[in-house]
Amino acid sequence: MSHSHKPGESGADLPHAAPTVEEITDFEVLEIAVRELAIEHGLFTAEDHRRFTEWTESIGPAAGSRLVAKAWTDPAFKARVLDDAVKACKEIGIDWAEPTGFGTPSDYMNLRVLEDTPTLHHVIVCTLCSCYPRPLLGMSPEWYRTTNYRRRLVRWPRQVLAEFGLIIPPEVEVRVEDSNQKCRFMVMPMRPEGTDSWTEEQLAEIVTRDCMIGVALPRPGRTADVHPVHKARHPVQE
Amino acid sequence: MSARRDLLEQQALIGSIQPAVHVPQNWNYEVEAPLFKAYAHPPHDVGGQFDAPILYEEKEEEQWEANVYVTCEVLGWRGVWNSEERRRRADNDLGYALYLGIPYYGRWIMAAARMLVDKNHIALTELIEKIAEVKARNAKK
Repeated sequence: MSHSHKPGESGADLPHAAPTVEEITDFEVLEIAVRELAIEHGLFTAEDHRRFTEWTESIGPAAGSRLVAKAWTDPAFKARVLDDAVKACKEIGIDWAEPTGFGTPSDYMNLRVLEDTPTLHHVIVCTLCSCYPRPLLGMSPEWYRTTNYRRRLVRWPRQVLAEFGLIIPPEVEVRVEDSNQKCRFMVMPMRPEGTDSWTEEQLAEIVTRDCMIGVALPRPGRTADVHPVHKARHPVQE
Repeated sequence: MSARRDLLEQQALIGSIQPAVHVPQNWNYEVEAPLFKAYAHPPHDVGGQFDAPILYEEKEEEQWEANVYVTCEVLGWRGVWNSEERRRRADNDLGYALYLGIPYYGRWIMAAARMLVDKNHIALTELIEKIAEVKARNAKK
């Protein structure tokens, strides 16, 4: 079943009592109300909100791609990543203490990078909510947050991976790591064959977000994660 | 009975009360122990439950969703709430109908609004008036 028709949306078919000029949802109203009240009461400032938004817009999976590509080409760096990933992130310009000085309030500064081998494949989930290594990969994709992925991955990992188009041979062990608020995980996939002469920049292009979650494997020519996209009604303004 | 069988039965029961409106509930006089345990199970602890395959899709972010993420984080940054009370209590401990029924960031902003009222940072009437004002402001455009 597609998520594009959620129960709340079927209301669009019902007749409206009095059409308003500007359609605004209850959640949009509540968001504005809470933000404005918090600022009016001095709980935070508009400048705090702006600064945090700026940081949010600066994060994305490209940082994780750079980390993996560098680890593939530099064994000493790879050892540092596996030893203390938060510390190693600083070498590629990612400081987990941003933007507050103690990290984001919900991302504890603890990251473990899981190294795939020829006999072991990792994939991450957060069964309790949607914990995700935001400073390195940006915001989590919607499907990662669904109860469906969280319910099924821990019990039927090979089946769920197959739905992503990833068939793991029976002789390869699949290990699911359940993220939580005290520890975040990221997958370091194996460097694919046919990339020996590649530069770090070329390598980074094939290390997509899905490869670092563990629902895809990098390979030459695969530079994007392709999923259906549910469009926003009022998307984020650039 | 095996531990695995216990677990499967427990999960079937949890499934049967999601959403709870599908089961008649009239303040039962008695609740059998397994059902008690199912009621006590936190709604957000979903790992291992049954579900059918779905299309895994991306979602383009709404402006309000981006703002909610930042508002909730900044409230944490400025010490208004901490990560534990926010996640396990405010965002998750809502009962199945709310937990499963409303959008991801919808839960976040409802949790923030309730917290501000519960901690007396704002009065409930103030929130209600503000909501009315925001609606009126946007309707006039």
